[in-house]
Amino acid sequence: MAASDNFYDFSRPSVHRSMVLLASGALIGLGIAGYGLFTAKGTRSHGVPPEAIALVNQRQILRSDFMTQVQTQYTTTFAQSSHEQRLKTLTDMIDEELMVQRGLEIDLPSYDPDVRGALVAGVELEVSADALAQQPTESQLRAYYQEHKDRYSSEGVMQLRDLVVTTGGSRTPAAAKLEAAQAAAAARSGQPLALVIKRFELVDSGRFMDAGHVDTGDIFQFAVRAKLDDALYNAALALKDGEISEPIAQADGMHLIAMVKRRFPVPQSFDQASDRVWSDLKNLAQTEVRAANIRYLRSRADILLSADARALEEPAK
Amino acid sequence: MSTIASARLARRLGLLAALALISALAAVWLHQHGLAARLLRTEPAQILRDAGMMQQASRIARPVFQDHCATCHGSALQGDSSRGVPDLSRNVWLYGNDPIDIERTILYGIRSGHPKSRNIADMPALGRIGQITAQETRDAVEYLKSLAGAPHDAAAAVRGRVIYYTKGNCFDCHANDARGVTDYGTPALTGPYWLYGGDRGTLYQSIYSGRHGKCPAWINILTPVQIRAMALFLASDTHKPATGVGS
Repeated sequence: MAASDNFYDFSRPSVHRSMVLLASGALIGLGIAGYGLFTAKGTRSHGVPPEAIALVNQRQILRSDFMTQVQTQYTTTFAQSSHEQRLKTLTDMIDEELMVQRGLEIDLPSYDPDVRGALVAGVELEVSADALAQQPTESQLRAYYQEHKDRYSSEGVMQLRDLVVTTGGSRTPAAAKLEAAQAAAAARSGQPLALVIKRFELVDSGRFMDAGHVDTGDIFQFAVRAKLDDALYNAALALKDGEISEPIAQADGMHLIAMVKRRFPVPQSFDQASDRVWSDLKNLAQTEVRAANIRYLRSRADILLSADARALEEPAK
Repeated sequence: MSTIASARLARRLGLLAALALISALAAVWLHQHGLAARLLRTEPAQILRDAGMMQQASRIARPVFQDHCATCHGSALQGDSSRGVPDLSRNVWLYGNDPIDIERTILYGIRSGHPKSRNIADMPALGRIGQITAQETRDAVEYLKSLAGAPHDAAAAVRGRVIYYTKGNCFDCHANDARGVTDYGTPALTGPYWLYGGDRGTLYQSIYSGRHGKCPAWINILTPVQIRAMALFLASDTHKPATGVGS
């Protein structure tokens, strides 16, 4: 009786009340946990949630996707679609889901090149969606142009010869250098290049060829850059029409660069270059996003390299 | 003794009141849950005809719109043409005005990065990529002005019409009658409403430098019932045959 009296008297302790409150708390807790457990995403469920039209191995087919699919498949509104059309679409969607799940079950992405390619393309598209949709503003374009002004010019063109006084045989490197210097001096004195070539027995390096013959025509500056090493290219850059370089030592002998004719690149104004700036900026944004994504994926990946693979990653000596 | 009895009675009444409150809250929750499930399970077209359910949908959607959508679309759904954010209060829908179409846009967004987002076509930067010249772009602008019934340079509009059907390939996405295609989300080019503005400078920018409007995907942010309610709310406000939207 005393315990019963104390149950409602909160100023006094009551074992009965404590037990009832404890049990109530436990029941409420279990109820909340149970609700969370049976309604959380990925929870195995025997009921279909209202937003889904079906559950295929616990994977939802959303009503929204289903309705859109009916509309797309039959070019009609969902309200006007027939029972048969809806059934066909639903069957197709369930079948597709089953096939996708089977593909994952047999680990198709690990060995099928088409699936791998599609996955890579899909991920790349997803990560670069922002960059693709972003439109550079006028001020961003101008800032990029100012920062990379040297890139925006018309293409330079060169007509040049890369001539060599070969070493080997009886000709020492010192003798070759002397001969090359004499040849350069002769060219500078006004002798025609063809005569200098003949007189000093200069040979063409063979780096600029066109259909099996030495290319004596116009060559874009970027092509010259691709074919000459730094020393020769820098020498070529310093030359104007009719000039010849100092001898430059290379493995095969002493080289002379003779610039027959040159058209220098002409810097482009922002207005002239704005289309290129625009595409460069868009490409840069995409490249940066992709690189950032790869960095992120690598940072959280556990990549173990074999000894020989590690050697590949070390800088070449 | 009577004081003790009345105190006990008061406590018992208090406990009963608390139990009644909890029961009422549980009943309300169950009711709401049931209504939410009904909103999701009933066909949107039917819900549009059911005033009670539409009231329920609006009650759910309005605060969600203010919290999540009004930042871009404006609290009165008026949009922002300077950013190409459509005015949702008009009966003009890029992807169709069926609540199912609107729901899909809300779920997956437009160019949102979600694989199911609406991303079939972009407005290409026709001038930037060299497909048409600056002069041809100006001619195309005059043609659009003529379509909208606005003052225009007639000779340039004739040239612009040729660009529309040939070099610019505009008809391919915007349709032969320039009224847009909801499958692609391409706007009508006949005015009077223009997504980015219908002045010559803006139209020139749209054609020359392209447009790529975006809307985020809300599938992982809002609940399914909030998304359904929002789609119904937006569709019901302007549920008339779609006429498309100007670029």
